[in-house]
Amino acid sequence: MKSISRWTQKVFAAAMFCGILQGSALAAGDAEAGKVKASTCIGCHGIENYSNVYPSYRVPMLGGQHPEYVVQALKAYKSGERAHPTMKAQAAQMSEQDMADIAAYLTSAPQAQ
Amino acid sequence: MMKQLVLLAGLLAAMSGSAFASEQAAPEQGKTVEELTAACTACHGPTGVSPTTAFPIIAGQHKTYIEKALQDYRSGARKNAVMAGQVANLSDSDIEKLAAFYSKQESPLYTPSGD
Repeated sequence: MKSISRWTQKVFAAAMFCGILQGSALAAGDAEAGKVKASTCIGCHGIENYSNVYPSYRVPMLGGQHPEYVVQALKAYKSGERAHPTMKAQAAQMSEQDMADIAAYLTSAPQAQ
Repeated sequence: MMKQLVLLAGLLAAMSGSAFASEQAAPEQGKTVEELTAACTACHGPTGVSPTTAFPIIAGQHKTYIEKALQDYRSGARKNAVMAGQVANLSDSDIEKLAAFYSKQESPLYTPSGD
């Protein structure tokens, strides 16, 4: 009985460890997966000096940005802390994994010509 | 000679007048860039290349985007506890100066492409 419980503990510990690994993989984001998911983003953020029309200001450059910050921004659009209607609509559709993947891609993508 | 003296007096008067005017105007002009950026440095770094990944790199970002972000923090349209406190007392001119400064700094930012 004692040995079974020890075995159970080991299995439990191993499961926890895998969970932690998976958690960190989720947070890291997959740039390859993000490339596909970011096609809509590129429509505005991939055009040099592209401007939001009303009010008029340039959309931010995301290449070279910290991916963690981009994820935060997407979460803020989804939650309503940031109000841009288009970005809110985009982020509303995204899971946290989507956000991490998209951020990983946009911040490390090749430079627009 | 007299004419020259009058001219000189006039010139001096004009100079002191403009000096006086600029002294008077100083409070209207608000803070210097150095005074304004002092609060930003702790999170965004001295030139806007933030060393901490939770805070965005603002160096080299588009001027109009930085202005919009600061205006939105000030109006409450963009909600962030830290930034709300920083921008509360900024004038439009302060915001313009900050955006002009950071947008001109050397930066790792660029426009990404889809391929």
